[in-house]
Amino acid sequence: MSETLSYIFHLLIFPGGLFALLFGLLLKGIDRKVFARLQRRIGPPLLQPLFDVIKLGRKETLIPATAHKGMFRFAPVLGFMGAMVAAMFIPVPGVWDGAPGLGDMLMLLYLLPIPAVALILAGSSSSSPFGALGASREMILMFAYEIPLLVVLLTVALRVGYATGGVEFSLARVVEYQLAHGSFLLDPVMLPAFAAYLLFIPGTMGSVPFDLAEAETEILEGPLLEYSGPSLAMFQLMFALKMVVVTGLGVVLFFPGTLGTNPVVNLAWFCCKATGLMLVAVTLLRASTGRLRTDQTFRFYLKYPTGLAYAGLGLTWILG
Amino acid sequence: MLTIFKLMWRNLVQGPSTEPFPFGETTTPERLRGKVAVDAKACTGCEVCISVCAGGALRQEERADGSGKDFYVWHNTCAFCGLCQEYCPTGAIRLTTDWSTVHLNQDKYTYREQVFIAHASCEQCSARMPRMPHGTIETIYGRTNPHLDTLYRLCPQCRREKAAIQLGANFHE
Amino acid sequence: MILKDRLKNMAARSPWLYRINAGSCNGCDVELATTALIPRYDVERLGCRYCGSPKHADIVLITGPLTTMVRDKVIRVYDEIPHPKVTVAVGICPISGGVFRDSHSVRGTLDEVIPVDINVPGCPPRPQAILEGVAKAMEIWKTRI
Repeated sequence: MSETLSYIFHLLIFPGGLFALLFGLLLKGIDRKVFARLQRRIGPPLLQPLFDVIKLGRKETLIPATAHKGMFRFAPVLGFMGAMVAAMFIPVPGVWDGAPGLGDMLMLLYLLPIPAVALILAGSSSSSPFGALGASREMILMFAYEIPLLVVLLTVALRVGYATGGVEFSLARVVEYQLAHGSFLLDPVMLPAFAAYLLFIPGTMGSVPFDLAEAETEILEGPLLEYSGPSLAMFQLMFALKMVVVTGLGVVLFFPGTLGTNPVVNLAWFCCKATGLMLVAVTLLRASTGRLRTDQTFRFYLKYPTGLAYAGLGLTWILG
Repeated sequence: MLTIFKLMWRNLVQGPSTEPFPFGETTTPERLRGKVAVDAKACTGCEVCISVCAGGALRQEERADGSGKDFYVWHNTCAFCGLCQEYCPTGAIRLTTDWSTVHLNQDKYTYREQVFIAHASCEQCSARMPRMPHGTIETIYGRTNPHLDTLYRLCPQCRREKAAIQLGANFHE
Repeated sequence: MILKDRLKNMAARSPWLYRINAGSCNGCDVELATTALIPRYDVERLGCRYCGSPKHADIVLITGPLTTMVRDKVIRVYDEIPHPKVTVAVGICPISGGVFRDSHSVRGTLDEVIPVDINVPGCPPRPQAILEGVAKAMEIWKTRI
């Protein structure tokens, strides 16, 4: 009973739920501020995404007359719930062990595409041609970036379980292994896998140069076009949560070091590392590149991140 | 390939180049074409500005008692083109550098300039006539003297009579 | 109550801008794009952001005289913007018809069809004047959200 309560607490307050929401909105604010500074502008205040979400909660919701009302309302809720449950499974080294009794890497592999599926449902149910176009682009993009993710997860699992001759999918064991043997970032064998994961992050977050599903100037915000008010607020929260999950997973897979035993210090260190990963993978790319077309994105993903991921897997298999 | 990173580093180091407005001051160029202002003492009411105005923003209405004209400039149709300033013969209408034109929609029809162009009256026969500003005399004659000033305080009829008398006086000398 | 006021103050700090071109010559639209995008007149530091869909909009910036060809479409797009919203007429064309006033395709001013809150005359208005207009619209927006 107390275990269930503890799981509910970890789902709703920390590290899922409230903590992930606030941290995700802060991450998004940092992204916008640094992006503005890179362009010699001042940029919005750091908590601007929080103000956006609160404002959206106070506006009215308009639903197109020809849309499928049930699915239209349900899509953001689905994405939000999926992202929030996924946030619970990220272990914070030194503070929280990631609920190893409930799930592991494979669980995250199933939970991570849920926000993308929610976008596809939103686009299809909104009965607008821009929405349908955005939904089909997001589907194509999902094919592109899920393969590197799977191969990278396999690489890490293979590496951690090599000593026992099998694969180890539990994220808690991954953290333990790296705390004992040194983080994978410093290991040249795992570098191709890290590069592949770095390229996976902007694809899954829908940030430039791979933001064609939500292109503002081309298809007028795609699947989100017909959303307004609290439903749109839920989509923004879903994006914030997904940012936390994806960067948190990157930190856990490749460099989960701790700084002593104080949980507060470890938590702050984890947040700093996640922010750093986001700045490199999302903000820097956003400030320096333009959008790629659908076929260019697909070809890019099938060549470089997939190639790098398979190279990492091969190296790990051969060299251990 | 690395130029973009150099640019980004330079941007981070140099800091924002944003103007502090609306939280601070902003610069206004000297020759900026801003809101229209009319100098009532220099205007003769010739209405050239009205015929060249691009947006139809100028209007002059004769007052019922004949004492002069009301000159209205409606800023909400003024295109800030400067044609009125270009063609005004006396330099009475000019564009200031005031660019701050925001107002509420309910004040739309009261957002205007209104000046009164007084007519002059002849010193001799008290007929109504448009004034002849100092600057116009200088433009026509290149210089001014008290004799010209007194001459132009008379209406055209009295002016002709006075000039004829003077001419006749010169003949007889 | 304190929490409610706090939430209201926070919500008032993020109005999203949306542009409607009602038959404009594009001069004012270029100025609107300038105000938002270039680093010199950054509008994001006020908390604003240009959005791509009318359904996400809070402050509507309308340029251009309401020509007969575009009139119904502008009304339709305007109705898609959820309440509460603030309307700003940018340039002299929506306020009075501007230089196109007695033309064959301009039938009246914008506020005969759409309730306008703020006017920013100018042809085109200076970016600083547009920023002033947006700041004043934000004050009105604060009372409506």
